[in-house]
Amino acid sequence: MIRDAAGRFGHTPALIIVLCAAAAVALLSVASGAYPLAIPDILKVLGGREANDPVASLVLLEVRMPRFLLGFLVGAVLAVSGALLQGLFRNPLADPGLIGVSAGASLAAIMVIVLGSTWLGGWLAFAGEWALPVAAFFGGSATVFLAWRIANRDGQTQVATLLLSGIAINAIAGAATGLLTFYATDDELRSLTFWTMGSLGHAGWDELMIGAPFMILALIVSPFLARPLDAFLLGESVVGHLGYPANTVKKAAILVVGLGVGAAVAVSGLIGFVGLVVPHLVRLVLGASHRVVLPFSALIGGTLLVAADSLARIVVAPAELPIGLMMALIGGPFFLGLLMRRKVV
Amino acid sequence: MTLRVNDLSVLLGGVTIVREINLMLEAGEIVMLLGPNGAGKSTLLKALSGELPFQGQVAMAGRELADWAPSQLARHRAVMPQKVDVNFPLTVEEVVAMGRPRTSRGKPDTIIDRLMTELDIAHLRYRMVPGLSGGEQQRVQLARVLGQILDASGPRLLLLDECTSALDPSHQQLVMEVIQRLAKEQGITVLAIVHDLNLAAQFADRLVVMQAGRCFCEGGAHDVLTHSVLKAVYGYRARIISLPEGYPLVVPLGSGSAQMASGNPSCRQAS
Amino acid sequence: MRGRMLLIALCWLIPALVQAEPMRVVTADGAITETVYRLGLESMLVAVDTTSGYPEETQALPKVGYLRALPFEGVLAMRPDVLITTEQAAPQENLERLAKAGVQVETLPMAWTPEASLERIVTVGEILHARSEAQDLVAELSSEIRRVQQSAVNRGSRPRVLFILAAGNHSVLLAGQDTAASALLDAVNAENAVTAIQGYKPASREAILASQPDAIVIAESTPGQFDISNWQEVAHLDAWKSGHRMVADSMFLLGFGPRLPEALDALNRVLPSGTAVVSDDS
Repeated sequence: MIRDAAGRFGHTPALIIVLCAAAAVALLSVASGAYPLAIPDILKVLGGREANDPVASLVLLEVRMPRFLLGFLVGAVLAVSGALLQGLFRNPLADPGLIGVSAGASLAAIMVIVLGSTWLGGWLAFAGEWALPVAAFFGGSATVFLAWRIANRDGQTQVATLLLSGIAINAIAGAATGLLTFYATDDELRSLTFWTMGSLGHAGWDELMIGAPFMILALIVSPFLARPLDAFLLGESVVGHLGYPANTVKKAAILVVGLGVGAAVAVSGLIGFVGLVVPHLVRLVLGASHRVVLPFSALIGGTLLVAADSLARIVVAPAELPIGLMMALIGGPFFLGLLMRRKVV
Repeated sequence: MTLRVNDLSVLLGGVTIVREINLMLEAGEIVMLLGPNGAGKSTLLKALSGELPFQGQVAMAGRELADWAPSQLARHRAVMPQKVDVNFPLTVEEVVAMGRPRTSRGKPDTIIDRLMTELDIAHLRYRMVPGLSGGEQQRVQLARVLGQILDASGPRLLLLDECTSALDPSHQQLVMEVIQRLAKEQGITVLAIVHDLNLAAQFADRLVVMQAGRCFCEGGAHDVLTHSVLKAVYGYRARIISLPEGYPLVVPLGSGSAQMASGNPSCRQAS
Repeated sequence: MRGRMLLIALCWLIPALVQAEPMRVVTADGAITETVYRLGLESMLVAVDTTSGYPEETQALPKVGYLRALPFEGVLAMRPDVLITTEQAAPQENLERLAKAGVQVETLPMAWTPEASLERIVTVGEILHARSEAQDLVAELSSEIRRVQQSAVNRGSRPRVLFILAAGNHSVLLAGQDTAASALLDAVNAENAVTAIQGYKPASREAILASQPDAIVIAESTPGQFDISNWQEVAHLDAWKSGHRMVADSMFLLGFGPRLPEALDALNRVLPSGTAVVSDDS
């Protein structure tokens, strides 16, 4: 039984397919790259033995492995955040990038980079290597909260207002970023370009250690919101009627999104459209229940981002394309298509 | 006593929308709220369903609403809002199941099947809700709401805000009969807002007429659906026929005279 | 299958052959790449970065990306023995990893004076075991530089120069203080007409008019980028009208590589002589 009575994919076959795809992409990501590695060498290193090529273990264990893990986590978190926001706002077009959450997080991160030596010196001294992800988290959460306050009137989310406020927030964050860029020194500018393009090019175990706890926490908490988020699909008042604490759920979702997107932006810069494309795809094939959408979005989001990253470093090898660019290339047309055939979304 | 409302008032933005309402609802009783648009019916229902803050006391089974745990209250009080928009591809079955308490995995939920059959939506089970007609969606929501309290023990209250407004006449009858049977057999208390006076006359045990936020009058169909009340509340002229079935039939007498009547100061005597 | 076998065989052989094989070099900086060519060691080059566009022959080499976003695997895939780049190279993580992978990573300091520039050429020569060739080249270059600088000193005045960087289609940047442009002007006994700006900042048309320079230098990142018809305020400046102006490639002007003497000479030629400055200003 591939399809259920509603004409949708059965969950078990879908899970098997997605896990196979994830495994295939994991293999692709670890086995491919500009630096040619022989398959026996890869197997040897993964088996914990000495490879013939002396740099094989460095390439695999220090570069490709953390990059794969970080890419998967970032993709999963962005997709889950998209799904959470879409449920919360009852709108399939909500996306961390579109409503300005990513921009808010990256603005906070850029502030730490540029003002870290002057105005924010105290913060940097206090938070150490956590300064950036924590700032990005606060930036992200504050933006979700702001968007929520602006777009909500009398318990109803005004979708047009939400998207318009997203445009405004993106513009303000963009302008503030531009201003900081203007005053940035050459050195700081170098770190900035990375944020705006989105990249996993520098990924290592250090980045993973800093970003992963936040992202894993976000991924762990999100399934607990699945049932009340389903109720959100029927309207905010229905959430209360069904006995869920609507306000608590809302705050939890905002925190999870701020935490996840903040950490994702902190380690990989701005990567758009994962949060839009992936949950939409899952709903199309498997239905809208969050108990299905959340876990599948995590798996598919991770897989998609790792696949895009693998592609980004193969197509123009030995150089690399920024992953943010890659996702925009995939996501942009997809989003337009979505708008064009918007009947029941 | 399932529901006791004492001196309930609702203030929204400094304006009193509902004032000093007193209500008592017994187990198994069907009470219908009548009144013109803007009389405060929906606001009253929202206050009772926990969506709006209010002054006064509301007790369910002798316990103040605020003293109930939300999850526990949801098994004893179900609310059907006037309009539920579903924008996401949820199936009928999924929406109905949302009202059900968590069941152990793999065990088929017979109540879902029963409600879908009774409300004539079993054939729509795997259809996407956003693609259904308004009347079909209304029955889906009603099934969800009924499933929420159907198998709970103790007092149960059903708050319905125009639950038959999108239904064709035969489905209106079907739905009201289901509600009536549940009330009588299971002792579920029903407080429903309706606009169809004849539907109210046919199914309500008691009618409560609201006007300008207050309770205008209250009683059985024969007592409430009179020329003077209809004139005073709706500015509406009608012929009222007593049917052999035991309830009155209200036949409206043209809209032109209705407008004339609404301009008649004698209609405002009660307010 | 055969390819893979060959590859494995190569992996085995490379350590044994390393002594006999010529050095494999990746350069990530236009001026450093030029230096390698000027030393006649281009056969060692296996890849360059995107800032390396001169000479023409660099076009045939694989590009490993921008020196400020060097990919680890991309560079490593070229199996270089040495990566020569500057302090500008990033990300730091990837440079560290390359060093760990056995690549000799040389990050040279930025050269903003003729002395530092020549010193850097010697360093490159040393890294590539071509010390004497490098010293010969430096001797040749330094005599040319000395000649240009002597004539600049003989001019007897320090003309004020407006230095414009044309990097995009419709926007230009003014070179302020603490820039390679300022350093270049200093080397020919001239000074930057723009004093209130640090680094490169978008040009305000009024600031251009207010600068009242004695000469104008426009550095283009691609040839033909600067279109004077779009910049009437530049055309209005006395310096432009009197011909004290030059438009040249930005790598040529600001690279501080082996073409530095030519750049200094070309720049020096457009600067007005002492007496002319006075008459132009009045």
